[in-house]
Amino acid sequence: MNLLDTIIKAAPEAHIVTETDGIQIVAVTPEELPAAAQALAQRPEGAMDFLYDLTGMDWGEEGLGVLYQLESTATGERIILRTQTTDRERPLLPSVSTLWPTAEIKEREAFDFLGIRFTGNPDMRRLYLREDWKGYPLRKDYDATANELTLDNEINADTTEEYTLRPDGTLECHEHQLFGNDDFVVNIGPQHPSTHGVLRLRTALDGEVIRHVDPILGYIHRGIEKMAERMTYPQTLAMTDRLDYLSAHQNRHALCRCIEGAMELEVPERAEYIRTIMDELQRIDSHLLFYSCLAMDMGALTPFFYGFREREMILNIFEETTGGRLIQNYNVIGGVRADLHPDFCNKTKEFIVHLRQVLPDYHNIFTGSIIAKTRLEGVGRLSREQVIGLGATGGTGRASGWANDVRKRHPYAVYDQVDFEEVVRTEGDSMARYLVRMDEIEQSCRIIEQLIDRIPEGPVRTKTKPIIKLPEGIFTASVEASRGAFGVLLESRGDKSPYRLHFRSTGLPLVHTMDTACRGAKLADLIAIGGSIDFVIPDIDR
Amino acid sequence: MATFKEYFRGWATGLKSLATGMGTSMKVFRQKPVTEEYPENRHTTLHIPERHRGRLRLVTDENGQPRCIACGLCQMNCPNGTIQIEADTVETPEGRKRKQLKAYHYDLGSCLYCQLCVEACPHGAIEFSNDFENAVFERDRLRLDLTKPEDNRCHDWK
Amino acid sequence: MNYYDINSLNQSIHGTLSSLMPEGLAITLEGIAVGLLIIVLYALLAIVLIYMERRVCAAFQCRIGPNRVGGRGGLLQVPADVLKILTKEIISLRHADRFLYNLAPFLVILASIFSFACLPWNQGAEILRMDIGIFFVLAASSIGVLGILLAGWSSNSKYTVIGAVRSGAMIISYELSIGLTVLTMVLLSGTMDIQEIVMEQEHLWNIFRGHIPALLAFCVYLIAGNAEANRGPFDLAEAEQELTAGYHTEYSGMHFGFFYLAEYLNLFITAGIASTLFLGGWMPFHIPGLDGLNAVMDWIPGVVWFVGKTFAVVFLLMWIRWTFPRLRIDQVLTLEWKYLMPLSLVIVLLMTLCVIFGLVL
Repeated sequence: MNLLDTIIKAAPEAHIVTETDGIQIVAVTPEELPAAAQALAQRPEGAMDFLYDLTGMDWGEEGLGVLYQLESTATGERIILRTQTTDRERPLLPSVSTLWPTAEIKEREAFDFLGIRFTGNPDMRRLYLREDWKGYPLRKDYDATANELTLDNEINADTTEEYTLRPDGTLECHEHQLFGNDDFVVNIGPQHPSTHGVLRLRTALDGEVIRHVDPILGYIHRGIEKMAERMTYPQTLAMTDRLDYLSAHQNRHALCRCIEGAMELEVPERAEYIRTIMDELQRIDSHLLFYSCLAMDMGALTPFFYGFREREMILNIFEETTGGRLIQNYNVIGGVRADLHPDFCNKTKEFIVHLRQVLPDYHNIFTGSIIAKTRLEGVGRLSREQVIGLGATGGTGRASGWANDVRKRHPYAVYDQVDFEEVVRTEGDSMARYLVRMDEIEQSCRIIEQLIDRIPEGPVRTKTKPIIKLPEGIFTASVEASRGAFGVLLESRGDKSPYRLHFRSTGLPLVHTMDTACRGAKLADLIAIGGSIDFVIPDIDR
Repeated sequence: MATFKEYFRGWATGLKSLATGMGTSMKVFRQKPVTEEYPENRHTTLHIPERHRGRLRLVTDENGQPRCIACGLCQMNCPNGTIQIEADTVETPEGRKRKQLKAYHYDLGSCLYCQLCVEACPHGAIEFSNDFENAVFERDRLRLDLTKPEDNRCHDWK
Repeated sequence: MNYYDINSLNQSIHGTLSSLMPEGLAITLEGIAVGLLIIVLYALLAIVLIYMERRVCAAFQCRIGPNRVGGRGGLLQVPADVLKILTKEIISLRHADRFLYNLAPFLVILASIFSFACLPWNQGAEILRMDIGIFFVLAASSIGVLGILLAGWSSNSKYTVIGAVRSGAMIISYELSIGLTVLTMVLLSGTMDIQEIVMEQEHLWNIFRGHIPALLAFCVYLIAGNAEANRGPFDLAEAEQELTAGYHTEYSGMHFGFFYLAEYLNLFITAGIASTLFLGGWMPFHIPGLDGLNAVMDWIPGVVWFVGKTFAVVFLLMWIRWTFPRLRIDQVLTLEWKYLMPLSLVIVLLMTLCVIFGLVL
């Protein structure tokens, strides 16, 4: 039974709205959504067990709604469910968090920005904004002046709210206790040496043992999605490098692909090669930084500098060609901004040779060390079901046996022409997450080596009109960023700026796994697990 | 610790791994440091790539006059409102009216270095210079007017 | 043969002073002079050690290290930092136990000065000499943990409490290994008087005399001593990445400076005791039979030998610190109770057997 039939069997009113990039968008009514979602999640011939992303939308007159991007980990089929409610005063949608645990945090995001309450979600607090925030910023009728700058402290509630719908249509609110009076709650962050940015983890401890972790986000929320609604398409590109700054190339690549796909713009082959090489260099860069930071989080300051020493070389290579070290601004709609620097190929080849020489040092000083081993092995175990349910892609998912690499599953750029292995481990502990990334460095080197001598001659950029307008519709694109699947969902109404631009954060599902991974571990493990899960906060907060 | 044998093997592998680690750190101890001393290296090892984006500057023609025609495309393309152009309308000797640049306000503090302004410019009148030493003590000093020579810096690092 | 024995000098100073004034006053004066000497030496050593740590750590990390203040070597960096820390405000906390909070840094300093005073710098150049010298060092250094516990507790902060409890659990465990390894050397030397222990090593240093058990004891002592000094990889009481600064998170200015000083001096004391017990203290390197070599060695003053050996051990400890990741609290305790403690007991047994059967060199 194909996907549509499965849905229609459970939800007779469902129908295809449109199609994007071969993915059907199927509309279901809120009443039928639970049945349709259940049928998809438990579909016998390839369950749609991975909720790739959940995007809240404001369609104005048509009401508020949600897009569920679903994927089957077995077959790779993808579908988008669309549901909406016309009630703007009290928008209610059924929660799907029991089917896909990752929805728990993503529904909070939709609630935070659009005010849609999800009945049955056990945690309906705001996610990014302050609990006393007025209004819902991503609504089109949001009043930007409604909130004055407040300088007083935000008191976080120790309880969460769950809403359920009574048969008579009224709402019922239960409170769940997050932290009790006898919990020893330690604030880790927002200013803390090893939260990798301004993340705050409220942690309930029992001695050294962690009972519960509650991540509090939004300390560097910049409203990039809202800002993008007023920007032209080239301007929105400037924001992507500032999401996950260690995946700057990949993020920008995703948005460029999305816009190019919508414009049906052909990208020159040379540009595709360059983009692929840059993506892989960026991945090595990110993984070297990952190594450094994990070692530092565990108290080994010397390996930290090893990672930075080699990363510096990549940054120099980047700077030579793109002019930027962290914020490169290299991909543009239709290709890349400038041709490769004449030294680029040689320097990259030299760098790979050098990296292969020093990598054994990395392993000798850290990986092999009995202290690192005992601190990482068996700690923070996540099972395959857990990572899929929580949507933890990237190295974290692959360490738990879930082959989720977008480069393999839905190849883009020139990834279908290169030979590389998808590194997958089955242990699911911190050590596996660490080793997956270390092995990916080697695979990225392989990819670069295969491509670097084959870069075709030709232009690096297809000329575009000065003002870019996209046709109406919903467009998506996803790439494998340094720490997981990064996606773009763009709705266009034919203007020169997007009607809605949503980024699938790689880090949000990762930070959501912290509670599952850390329970029962020690305080020191929390830091090591956080380091091995490897999130970057600007990408979570957006 | 299931057996004595495992206990002693634990000792042996543990000590061996620690010794390997110490060997590696000693190897690096004997290598030369990789960090450089800035600003002493300014004229020796410091290398600023040509494409490095330090700060925006106005390109001048052979008479030392800015090439900018005050068309405002850069201002329109800036995502962050970094550029404000002030222009006068003057009459040319042929009797045509045209805009003349009066002031080119550039807020270095809010520049994203996205290069959209440079791309948009039809006359190649602006470019990013390699001048990276942009730190100042007051925020106001980041609000530059590129028509003034002291703000339109171009340091040659080569 | 020792050319640099300053016992006679001490006696002549004492004699001269006693002839000028009543003996009680003379002793008081000497006490004040020695006290000042200790404090000055303590501060100077801390500066040297901090500078050394910065340099060594930089070299391990492919960096240059301090290179601005005081010429290319950055020699004045640490004195400048000391000046800075002296002028910083000592913040008082609203909900802290004021008395204990202020007392804690002094307890830590007190403990390390007590142990510091026992170090044998040269023949005749020890400040506190008693028959149970080494026992006194062990007892005095344990006061430090009290200061750490008080600091953590009285700051009334969650991070500091966790740090203090960790440190308490760790230091009390490692005292056992330290005690046992010291006992090994006492067995070998037959005395607890620190000067006597050094004198015993006139022919050959203890680490060679006691061969296998002494070598093992040396390793165990270094590990346990490192833990006792709260230094990496056993710095989990401070654990910057977990607890920001552990037990002294809430301290500022010179109060923090005291903890910092004590950390480095404890490092020096650990190394100093190690060099006294195992490497002959101020005793020059002697090989029985090679009189020529021994005579040459004797020309080098004892204080040079002592400081040289101690700094060699300090370097070793820094090397360890800048190589390994931090242990977790349960691993720290496992290491002690499962590995080091049994090993120390075996060492004591081995050494006893060696001494009884005359198997020492």
